[in-house]
Amino acid sequence: MSTARLHRSQRQGASTEAGLKRLLGVGAFAMAGVYGAGLVYLLARGGSRLWSLTAYPTPLSGVDNEVAMRFIVAACLFGILGWASMSVVRWGLERTGRAMPKRASRITVVAVAALGAMFLRDHLPRFLVSLPSETKAGGGVGPEIFNTIYFAVLSTAITLPVGVGAAVYLARFAKSQRFVGAVRMALDTLASLPSIVYGLFGFLVFVVQMKAGYSLFAGAFVLALLNLPLVVGIAEESMHAVPRELDEASLALGATPVQTVLRVTIPYAWPGILSALVLSIGRVFAESAPLIMTAGTTISRANAYSLNPFRGGETLAVHLWYVNSAGLAPDRAEVSAGTAAVLVVLVGLTNLLASRFARFGGAEGPRTKKATK
Amino acid sequence: MSNSTLIAAEAGSAGERFRLAGRPRLGESVLRGALVACGWFVLATTVAMLGFLASTGLRGIGEVGLGQLLTSDAWKPEAGSFGGLALIVGTFTSALGAIALGAAPAVLSAVWLTEFAPEGVRRGYRRVMEIASAVPSVVYGWLALVYIVPIFENVAHAIKGDDAPVTGEGLGAAAFLLAVMIAPTVLLLSLDALSRVPRQLRDASAALGASPWQTAFQVSVPYGWRGLLVATFFGFARAAGETMAVQMVIGGARRLPKDFLFSPTTTISAQIVMDMQEARPGTPENDVLYSMALVLLLVSVVVVLVTRAMARSQAR
Repeated sequence: MSTARLHRSQRQGASTEAGLKRLLGVGAFAMAGVYGAGLVYLLARGGSRLWSLTAYPTPLSGVDNEVAMRFIVAACLFGILGWASMSVVRWGLERTGRAMPKRASRITVVAVAALGAMFLRDHLPRFLVSLPSETKAGGGVGPEIFNTIYFAVLSTAITLPVGVGAAVYLARFAKSQRFVGAVRMALDTLASLPSIVYGLFGFLVFVVQMKAGYSLFAGAFVLALLNLPLVVGIAEESMHAVPRELDEASLALGATPVQTVLRVTIPYAWPGILSALVLSIGRVFAESAPLIMTAGTTISRANAYSLNPFRGGETLAVHLWYVNSAGLAPDRAEVSAGTAAVLVVLVGLTNLLASRFARFGGAEGPRTKKATK
Repeated sequence: MSNSTLIAAEAGSAGERFRLAGRPRLGESVLRGALVACGWFVLATTVAMLGFLASTGLRGIGEVGLGQLLTSDAWKPEAGSFGGLALIVGTFTSALGAIALGAAPAVLSAVWLTEFAPEGVRRGYRRVMEIASAVPSVVYGWLALVYIVPIFENVAHAIKGDDAPVTGEGLGAAAFLLAVMIAPTVLLLSLDALSRVPRQLRDASAALGASPWQTAFQVSVPYGWRGLLVATFFGFARAAGETMAVQMVIGGARRLPKDFLFSPTTTISAQIVMDMQEARPGTPENDVLYSMALVLLLVSVVVVLVTRAMARSQAR
């Protein structure tokens, strides 16, 4: 008999207990309500900034790679729109007992994204694609969005191989217990450091010692370090969750240990690794203090959308801080609201993705199916 | 085709896919070496990080003197006076205030969720809190700057009179902001801790005739109290290390707070970010910032290592 049934089968305690319980419930709901309402409010308030659509060219456009950036933003926006509407359609169909072929909905999403990028890229929300403005009203966050995504790519390019490599080593290949203990200790220490300390380290190494100035690479490296404990921890955990029999079967078939790890263990543990990576990307979006000290707080007009990782540049989170503490633009309340809304959307999307990846794990995961076909 | 050639062909193709064809041993050892290198990379960067910080920080301590750094409250880098007491006090009081305000609601909500709430509510609640805990701290800082600080200003004027020199920025606003920021984290960690309470314990308690309330507060909470404490400690560490959001609302006055609610002060991390932009590398002004970072680092490392040890002893 379940606990709930047991509880229901007896009297619910004294009336004071029932009252206390209700009080606790009301408090808990109030708390969640405040956070939920806050998130909705952030989206609604920033949304008003996002809705002002303008035809191009605007006075702030005409920068290198700006057209490509608009193309990508349009593809992402319309892709998300298409995906959301297809989810609604599928939900409706499922409610009436019909199913929609996966391929059809996928094709629709891609088609909507492509068509939007082709034909509507000159009519995007101006805020999302124009340059920030220091003193005048009407600045956007185009380069900030670009930098935020670029930071995520750069730091994942470091975190993925190093983090997964270290996790594989700890979970499968480590021989010396002393070395393993030392690495674990190092990871524990890294996990406990405040992010400002990472910023100081990055500043000391890249800006002071190497005299490289503020650069995206320095920021990405520091963020990769910051995320290593998280990624190694989850990746190792999901590798420990791989059934022993699978590895042993692979070894018994004559595969070498490295082949076993690459073809059996990692595919099986992949969803866990992926959700760790997505979570770490969420932290890249959110982090500000270390980036201020390693990548600076400026956007230069000349290379706003440049792929060169050795230039400086600010992210959305840094921009939000900068606008409020040093900005002179008269519409900085509106700019802040829009930036916060974009950040909340990005963070919400990464959380959604992470929980989706975590859900299809193990032997049912698409990656495992592909590898064992 | 015989069986053995089939297997050989299979093995060959697998080898090619890993570019090991012909020389499996070399590829194997290269990959193994790469894995070991990853482990060494983690170790080496951690040591390098602590080493760099410690050497610069100790140089700063040597220049200023540990006594002055920890006990003097005059932080005036431009006049060559480095007393870190105000920074340390600001960091601790704001973080402690955050725990005092934010931890109890978070832990109690977690208890309600695991013990009394239906499954569907729990899942939705978790989703909201996960997003809330992932929202960037600057967003919280901006919200506090726009909405909380004016409230504090009005309250301060109501208490101290209309001409009182208060702006609403200060310790109270910072502690409130930090409480709002850490509550989701504390709640999520508490949920994890309470979900580790074995089902049998709850069933046994219910079978003995305890009401749900009694089961919750006399079985589950005592069993999971270490986990709840760990959650609170992590909240404290996060609050003490928080930088930008606090910097936006604490006022930035480099002096000891006069009262807990309305007096502007500063914290270690906020001061580091502010002074770093002016201090030239290699000067005492710069080195002393690393010394303060060392203080912060020691505190958070000690807190986290203690909580980890506690979490492990609970796991056993």
